[in-house]
Amino acid sequence: MRRSLPALASAVALTLATSACGLGSTGDGGGAVSRAPELDPGQQVSIVFESYNFGQAGAWTDTFTELIAAFEQEHPNISVTAQKPQGNSANPATDTISSLQSQLSAGSPPDVAQLGFSDLDFTVNELGALPLDDLVGKDTVQANFDGERHAYAPPARTLGDWEGKTYGVPFVFSTPMLYLNTKLFADAGLDARRPPRTWEEVRDAARAIQQRTGKDGAYVDCLTKAAKDWCFQALVRSQGGTVLSEDRSRLTFAEQPAVEVVRSMQEMVREGVMPNRTQMQAVDAFARGDLGMILESSAIQGTFLKGAGQDWELGAAPMPGFGDATPVPTNSGAALFVFSQDQAKQRAAWELIRFLTSERAYTTIATKIGYLPLRTGLVEDPEGLADWAARNPYLEPNLEQLEHLEPWVSMPGPSYLRIRDGLMQAVENAVFQGADPAESLRSAQRDATALVPGGDK
Amino acid sequence: MTTDEAVGEGSRARRLGGHLVLGVLSLLCAFPVYWLYATSLRAPEDVYSLSVLPWPLSTASYAEAFATSDVLGMLLNTGVVAVLSALGQLLIALLAAYAFAAWRFPFRRLLYLLFVGTWLVPFQATMLPNYVLLSRLGLLETLAGVIIPTLCSALGVLLLREHLNGFPKELLDAARMDGRSSWSTLWTVVVPALRPALAALGILLAITAWNEYFWPAMVLQRSNAVVQLGLRSFLGTEGNDWGPLMAMAGLACLPVFVLYLVLQRHIVNAFVRSGLK
Repeated sequence: MRRSLPALASAVALTLATSACGLGSTGDGGGAVSRAPELDPGQQVSIVFESYNFGQAGAWTDTFTELIAAFEQEHPNISVTAQKPQGNSANPATDTISSLQSQLSAGSPPDVAQLGFSDLDFTVNELGALPLDDLVGKDTVQANFDGERHAYAPPARTLGDWEGKTYGVPFVFSTPMLYLNTKLFADAGLDARRPPRTWEEVRDAARAIQQRTGKDGAYVDCLTKAAKDWCFQALVRSQGGTVLSEDRSRLTFAEQPAVEVVRSMQEMVREGVMPNRTQMQAVDAFARGDLGMILESSAIQGTFLKGAGQDWELGAAPMPGFGDATPVPTNSGAALFVFSQDQAKQRAAWELIRFLTSERAYTTIATKIGYLPLRTGLVEDPEGLADWAARNPYLEPNLEQLEHLEPWVSMPGPSYLRIRDGLMQAVENAVFQGADPAESLRSAQRDATALVPGGDK
Repeated sequence: MTTDEAVGEGSRARRLGGHLVLGVLSLLCAFPVYWLYATSLRAPEDVYSLSVLPWPLSTASYAEAFATSDVLGMLLNTGVVAVLSALGQLLIALLAAYAFAAWRFPFRRLLYLLFVGTWLVPFQATMLPNYVLLSRLGLLETLAGVIIPTLCSALGVLLLREHLNGFPKELLDAARMDGRSSWSTLWTVVVPALRPALAALGILLAITAWNEYFWPAMVLQRSNAVVQLGLRSFLGTEGNDWGPLMAMAGLACLPVFVLYLVLQRHIVNAFVRSGLK
């Protein structure tokens, strides 16, 4: 209740603020903006960079503070004020959009903001993020992706694109991984070096772990409202389905592939091989060594390594698939967007983005925080991250699945969060509370269709 | 004789039963606090352990909390907010209660009821107007913004007025006959007599202000200037850092524990004497 009250309060405050200022109609996604000229060397500019990383103490804040200091040293004419999103959620990453909305209402948005991929439609069409292709030129944007020596991984280059233009430069990134407790695998007579590759194998291994060790088998952190829909989308695509039609006009999550995914997960819960737990309980149980496997974001690896300590060893495998079909992972993570209204600030904002996505910055970020570098060639570069990669056995399965990666599709329209929450509530109701999968998804899709722009016509 | 014994045994058994229930309830109440400190004292690799005794003991989580956050700065800021908020409420409550108790003026009763009635208005209802006002005054993101809207406490007025009602009117009359002004009477006659009540109320108000999360979270949306908000910096997308989180929560509880242990008699007495329990 303590956490929900502030959230409710800020939601009410935000609704009042935004409705009073007519926000929601600011968007002109796809509209062109004029080119921001290069800065003169002596031209002093100050910009604001808003990132949820500044809300988390330790490696996150320290690393980003260090990078900003290095940027200011390299660009003495640009000064950067770093800030976390305003809001009162316990997790600052959930405040990003509401924070930006209220600052836009007040007419003073941050110049650069780090926003999640699932907010892309809203960010471009409602919040009015600026098209970088217009701002600095398509060639410049592509040259940044190519880098000096190491280019962005091809699937990562277009994650911040909208209708052929780059709006956000993908920045941090994670994929769904199957983490294993190798000790429980050994205790159950299983070989952790040959981890499950399909969901059928996951179920068998989970059953063996449960029967032979008395611990819980496997948890899939993609099936609750709290988990959002990023890896649920991966499961549905691995089964050959989608959650939204290609032209973004029609929801498709009540179709057969999604229903089959939900049904197979529900059966794991019914059989007792997947514990009926919340996201946080499952993450803590795995970190404690009481759970055999968990499908989880690669970004949470540090928490698991800390929990494992000397007691058990962490193993990792790519996301499993259904039957013989190749699994299709989706990415979580965030991109950097520009919102400045002033041309000098726009150019300074681009310079900051270029610096933060440079090989140098990725080397710092990967070694200090552990995020996967989007310039994947760095992991083979002896002057880059080769040493770090050699010490990080969990990197390989992560890189392996980049080849099949597909983007996390943001839901359409201004009510995208309600659509997403409705979908995930239906999944949660079916998997963990025993509702009929087909009926639950159908009903959620029916309710959400009216929220899709043009969907009620 | 036998009847006496039976009654004695029965009452002893009842007393024992009562103590047992109270003991179990106390354990239930104390256990989360114990778990907080136990977790904060586990070695980082044992943070997820469910063993009741944290062994081996480690202060690594405290070291990490201090290394990654400005713990002392936050504790100091929280202390400033708690002390200024409590003193401000005490002063305003004292003046209002004195007026209501010692003076006769039209609509006194109605005004008093209205004043006390504000106690019934939930904070959530006044929160938005307060927020907008602070925004216009430019006090968002400041400690002053946290303190100022809390300065008037209906509880304080109610409590002090109850105490003043029991205060002998003869003393006030004697002071007036001595030629003291009402201002001087307040500070030289009333306040010394009310000292225990003021102390108890001050402690309660300070503890409430210290523990407050909701209002500081509204006003200080971007900074973690007070300790209750600083706790959030150990929660995040990439997992929660339970060790330093529990260490900082443990440190945040300490001043309140100490204050309560040292002054608990005042607190209980004041409430008993005011007739409010």
